[in-house]
Amino acid sequence: MIEILLLVHLILAILVLSIRSLFTAVILMAIFSLFSAVLFFVLHAPDVALTEAAVGAGVSTFLYIWIVKHTQKEGE
Amino acid sequence: MKKTNILDVVSRKLSPFILLFGVYLVTFGHISPGGGFQGGVALASSLLLILLAQGPRVLASSFPIGRISVIEVLGYGLFLLAGLGGFLLGLGFLSPLLPPPGTIFILNIVIGAKVGAGITLICWHLFQEGEEQE
Repeated sequence: MIEILLLVHLILAILVLSIRSLFTAVILMAIFSLFSAVLFFVLHAPDVALTEAAVGAGVSTFLYIWIVKHTQKEGE
Repeated sequence: MKKTNILDVVSRKLSPFILLFGVYLVTFGHISPGGGFQGGVALASSLLLILLAQGPRVLASSFPIGRISVIEVLGYGLFLLAGLGGFLLGLGFLSPLLPPPGTIFILNIVIGAKVGAGITLICWHLFQEGEEQE
């Protein structure tokens, strides 16, 4: 189970770095932090998993989407 | 970026449930996993979903920013009061005054309100600054 989750993390991280569209990369980062929340839950750390799900998938995605929205107008 | 109906509907239907889940995390923090910080961030992310998808005017109509600031300041003051209350009885800082779930329950609620209001205010002012420059 842990090995499969780590493999998914690796694939998602490579996708985030290599994809061209910034918006898709931000959404993939949110999926990445969702999977790391599942990993923390499997490792018996539910508190850390809740923090990761709330901060990683909620607030940091807000900040990244806001930044992408305000930097793309100057030309891609 | 064009705004679609999907974003509009999903953000409106989902954010009350995230708000409810945040309240659950805060109030049951002493029994189940969760607590003040996690619940507060869940509360803030529900408000931020409205802010990002519906715009600042919709958020300000149901959650006025002045009141969120008041909650943030009050949260800090109440936490300090609950901490310093131990000194009155000759105990240490943040010592439990009430029987077991009492003090930690109150502290969880205060921290949840403080963290939720604080993160919402940070993102709100960031959002406003970006809108003004255009």
